[in-house]
Amino acid sequence: MSAPRAARSEVEEPDIDSADEAHRSAAVSRYLSLDAPGDGALERVTSLAARIFRAPVATVTVVDGERVRCGAAHGLPAQAFQGTRATSLCARAVEHGGVLVIPDTLADPRAAADPLVSGGPGVRFYAAAPITAPDGHRLGSVNVMDTRPRQADAEELDALQDLAALVTGELELRMAAARTVAAERELRAGAERLARTLQRTLLPPALPRVPGLHAAAAYHPFSADEVGGDFYDLFPLDGNRWGFFLGDVCGKGADAAALTSLVRYTLRAAAVYDPDPRAVLANLDTVLHQEHAGSQAPPPYCTAVFGVLEPDGDGFTVTLAGGGHPPALAVRADGGVEIVHPEGGQLIGILRDPHFAQVSIRLNAGDALLLYTDGLTEARTGAGAMLEWEGLASYVEAAAPAGADDLLVAVHKLIASLGEGVSDDTAVLALSVPVHPTAAPLQEPWCSMTTV
Amino acid sequence: MQHDHGLTITHRPHSARLHVLVVAGDLDHHTAPRLRAALEEVTLAPGAGLVIDLSPLTFCDSTGISILVAAHQRAQGAGAALVLAGLDPDLAHVFRIMGLDRLFSSYDSAEKAVAALGLQEN
Repeated sequence: MSAPRAARSEVEEPDIDSADEAHRSAAVSRYLSLDAPGDGALERVTSLAARIFRAPVATVTVVDGERVRCGAAHGLPAQAFQGTRATSLCARAVEHGGVLVIPDTLADPRAAADPLVSGGPGVRFYAAAPITAPDGHRLGSVNVMDTRPRQADAEELDALQDLAALVTGELELRMAAARTVAAERELRAGAERLARTLQRTLLPPALPRVPGLHAAAAYHPFSADEVGGDFYDLFPLDGNRWGFFLGDVCGKGADAAALTSLVRYTLRAAAVYDPDPRAVLANLDTVLHQEHAGSQAPPPYCTAVFGVLEPDGDGFTVTLAGGGHPPALAVRADGGVEIVHPEGGQLIGILRDPHFAQVSIRLNAGDALLLYTDGLTEARTGAGAMLEWEGLASYVEAAAPAGADDLLVAVHKLIASLGEGVSDDTAVLALSVPVHPTAAPLQEPWCSMTTV
Repeated sequence: MQHDHGLTITHRPHSARLHVLVVAGDLDHHTAPRLRAALEEVTLAPGAGLVIDLSPLTFCDSTGISILVAAHQRAQGAGAALVLAGLDPDLAHVFRIMGLDRLFSSYDSAEKAVAALGLQEN
């Protein structure tokens, strides 16, 4: 259906009202803010207009503040029709209201100032139908021009108004599409913000101070758009023992964050019930199985390392159990790096009768232990191969870090140097035994959310 | 990294009791439901065998692993054998870390897997 027809008149006073003009300009800029890709729709309108009028030139123009912009042109390059509002015939068409017909521009004072009339192609005939937004504001016009004076018949002018209404429809469509895209983007950003916030609450804001130990942790998110499910914690157990864990739940986004929450609280609760590391992982496995019972979704699982620290002379005995997780690294005081792998540990929460493995090591003065998630060891090196733990071990050995903080700095540099080779979040937890515990500065636990 | 190569699953019935599923492309949380659907269509009777040929697989995320493990458990429950073939070194490495090498029998190629299952059937 075409827009309501305005009375056709050839001489009418321009109706510029300043408040109305401000609203009109706002409407124009709403439409012009669309950076819509040219799909040829406006070009087809101009070529159709020229054909209907058997005229050499047709354009679609929009009057924007002080300028006339040309959206599409047939017969001449679009630049020829861009100009200042003060002199442009197209601006007169917008001010005019209804269909404007000027049979001979040389006989009409409104046309005198337009450079297309006075120079260039020498336009003698001009007809325009306004492009009217649904709220009534005239945004611009569909224009037809000829180089000789002539008349336009009613059928041609009806067709011109129909074409103007088509342009309005096209602009509306683009605006609706842009609105949908923006709303969808906003929704997604909101969901990701929520998941990111939730994830932050799942990481301890600061690690507790353990006598005789330095502890440091960092989280390197891979993408600002999608949260992963890496987690870690360090907390007191009975007597002078401490528990710690680090792991990675399957999946991404809000589901992963919710699963992380379950895993983290289950590990802490299970450690209170029975701090034997293997029993803690077995308890977590049971809870995840129960959580999934009856669901049709792919079963959720996680990989984790759970450890118990027990003071022992000037160091600690560390008992470490692993479930499907890459091995830890022990960085010795003499600079040597050992792989600490509870070998044979399986995924947690998904297998029928999983096996969890356990090892014990001693951390002496000057030693450090590094736990990490597979975002680090599955990162691609320059050569395209995965870094793997052997690559990580060589890197750490060469970096020769002195203590937990130093170790984290080394890992941070490594992640930065891998650049685009990294394709997942990485959580890192480092524990070290100072060489001179009493002389060591009281270090604030360090936990950072670093974007790599 | 964008994984948008899609997933192609080809079902090759080898005999009445032996099936081969060739899985090509990216197995991630977008495409995993299609593998699950294809796996559910394979009838697993006691003594039957299913080889999942992963040699043309270009990517596998945690959802993909979850689907494979679930399929293995379904086969085990039905008294059938589910084995993997053609894991690339990176995926084989990930499977070792996850302890899945203790769950899945794995062969270099689908042919070797079929041969091994054939021997077990006799």
